[in-house]
Amino acid sequence: MSSIPLLPALIVEFFGSAAAILLSFYAVRYSLALVRLQPNNFIWGFLFYFCSTMAAFALSRGVGHIVRITLVYTDHNDLWKQLSPFSGGFNTLLIVSVAAVTIYYHKGLAAYKAIRSEARKLAEANTKLAASAKQLQTLNTHLEEIVEERTRNLSESEKKFRNFFENSKDIVYFCDKNGQITNINSSGKLLLGFENNPNVINFHELFNDKEALQSYLDGLAEKGFVSDLEMECTGRNGTTRHILLTANALYDKDRSLIGCEGIGKDMTRIKNMTEQLINHEKMASVGQMAAGVAHEINTPLGIILGYTQLMMDDFDENSETHSSLQIMERQIQACRRIVADLLKFSRQTESTKAAIDLNDIVLNVLSVTEHSLNIQNITVNRQLAPDLPRVTGDAEKLQQVMINLFNNAQQAMESGGEIVIFTAAEKNLVRLTVQDSGTGIDSTIKNKIFDPFFTTKDVGKGTGLGLSVTYGIIKEHNGRIEVESPVLDRGSQRELQGSAFHIWLPVTPETAESQKEQD
Amino acid sequence: MRNLNVYITVAGIYLLVSFLMPGPAWALQSHGAPEGICVHQMAHILFAGALAYLYWHTRKSPAIASRGWRYLQYFCGILIAWNLLAFTGHELYELLTPEDFINKDTWSEQLSPPLSGVKIIYYIAKMDHVFMVPALFYLVRSLKTFYREARLEVNK
Ligand SMILES: Nc1ncnc2c1ncn2[C@@H]1O[C@H](COP(=O)(O)OP(=O)(O)OP(=O)(O)O)[C@@H](O)[C@H]1O
Ligand SMILES: [Mg+2]
Repeated sequence: MSSIPLLPALIVEFFGSAAAILLSFYAVRYSLALVRLQPNNFIWGFLFYFCSTMAAFALSRGVGHIVRITLVYTDHNDLWKQLSPFSGGFNTLLIVSVAAVTIYYHKGLAAYKAIRSEARKLAEANTKLAASAKQLQTLNTHLEEIVEERTRNLSESEKKFRNFFENSKDIVYFCDKNGQITNINSSGKLLLGFENNPNVINFHELFNDKEALQSYLDGLAEKGFVSDLEMECTGRNGTTRHILLTANALYDKDRSLIGCEGIGKDMTRIKNMTEQLINHEKMASVGQMAAGVAHEINTPLGIILGYTQLMMDDFDENSETHSSLQIMERQIQACRRIVADLLKFSRQTESTKAAIDLNDIVLNVLSVTEHSLNIQNITVNRQLAPDLPRVTGDAEKLQQVMINLFNNAQQAMESGGEIVIFTAAEKNLVRLTVQDSGTGIDSTIKNKIFDPFFTTKDVGKGTGLGLSVTYGIIKEHNGRIEVESPVLDRGSQRELQGSAFHIWLPVTPETAESQKEQD
Repeated sequence: MRNLNVYITVAGIYLLVSFLMPGPAWALQSHGAPEGICVHQMAHILFAGALAYLYWHTRKSPAIASRGWRYLQYFCGILIAWNLLAFTGHELYELLTPEDFINKDTWSEQLSPPLSGVKIIYYIAKMDHVFMVPALFYLVRSLKTFYREARLEVNK
């Protein structure tokens, strides 16, 4: 086996050393650049230290090798021997340094990591904080808008319901569980007549009928509502009001009753109308019956009268029989009058209509009756409108109406009083009012007085046909008759003792009137 | 940075002083005296250990996910190998006698026959730069990578 030349190893050593120096300085350069780029990064700092010591080592070792090779192989072995320990020692020193730097790396890294994670957390917290601050700010600015809008909506809605509440023509009310009214709309106040003292009203006290109140309270307590309950109460000016009540109980959180809210519809008008309607029906059927009976009775009565008069001729005027027959004749005549009245009421009699002035009728009747009225201490006050439009009618029948009304007035004022007669034009109607200061008519019989045979007078004094005949005549004239008692004085707004009968008759159209005059 | 400057200054002064005032030379070879070679070998072991530690640490917890760490790990691995080789080389050199060399300290220096394992391994160990240069190459690459990434991050 031959020997191995060391020359290749030397060449590798020589150039390798040079390359190592070069590369290690390259590394230093980059690490320095990194440190400059991010001075706060611990890892770059470490790498810079590491590379620097590494470069120092590579330099020391490489230079050592190169110097050794050059010195030894150029016969300067002695010099190298002098330098060699330094070179070697220095190499050792630098190796230890590199190792030391490396070992300290982890401690630094841990600290760096801790700082870094803290910093990141801090940054995260910061960005979160900024985001939430921004959110808060937008919320804040929006909040105002939102509040504004909500308030606007709320007030609109409030206005809507308030309008509904106030403008309702029905009574809308709220009350507590004792019935004390907490809130009531103006229609309600007006209807019930509490414009002035709205604070101290107890709804329960408004019920005229205790039974209705009981069923109202029971309904609220048991079902929580009442619907279409009919109640009667005394409204403005003491008038009786019929109210259709619908109410709901109000509860608090614990489901205990705290009050109620309700709507009441004023049914007075409808109720009156219904009653009138019923009256009409009654009148119509009674009229028909009366007409039938009257017609049938009229014929035998005529015959009886004829024979009675015949028989009267047969007896001496001074005889007892003759005077008996005379009484019979008078009574038969009375019967015929009653029958005639019945026929008038049922419009069975013929009528001749013309355009007439109501004032004339009034004056005609008064010219006959005023004298007897005056005897009874009754004064007649005429308040007739001049230039009253004419009405179409049967003068005779209307005179009958006047006579009936005067009779009733007279009978209501046994110890004297005053009759006031008004005529007035109202739109296309003419109003005639006969007002007396008599006893007045009780509200309980007010809707019965027009019934045939209804009377409060003693037997023989009244038949109860006067007003029903009047009613029939006015209907025949397409008019309307109403009773008012007690009478509200239009001037002083005071209630006067007595009663008033108002009659409205339609005015004759101008053309028809002028035509009649031409005829 | 100030610490670094101080460090560099001290190192420079030390270098200068040590070169300008050469003391008596006890050593025959690079680390002739037993103590010298002993310290040197210990330094190699320490260095290898430190590198192994760095390798393990960077592997275990990469502070930044980057290819740069991979190159740094290569560097550590190769440099550990270099340390071991250098250590072996020094150890083997102690075993060799002057008779094992022919034409010592000349350009035609040779390892004399018969060839033994020790001589072959010593020969290989003498070419330790075959490890050192690639190791440093990876170090440079690692730093280059870090630098590029850091630049990107800063510019972002
Ligand atoms: N002006 C009045 N004042 C008070 N009560 C009246 C008045 N007019 C009518 N009445 C009441 O109405 C009832 C009915 O009147 P109506 O004229 O129909 O019958 P009458 O007067 O009793 O009998 P007749 O008129 O048939 O003789 C009367 O009984 C009376 O109670
Ligand atoms: Mg009468």
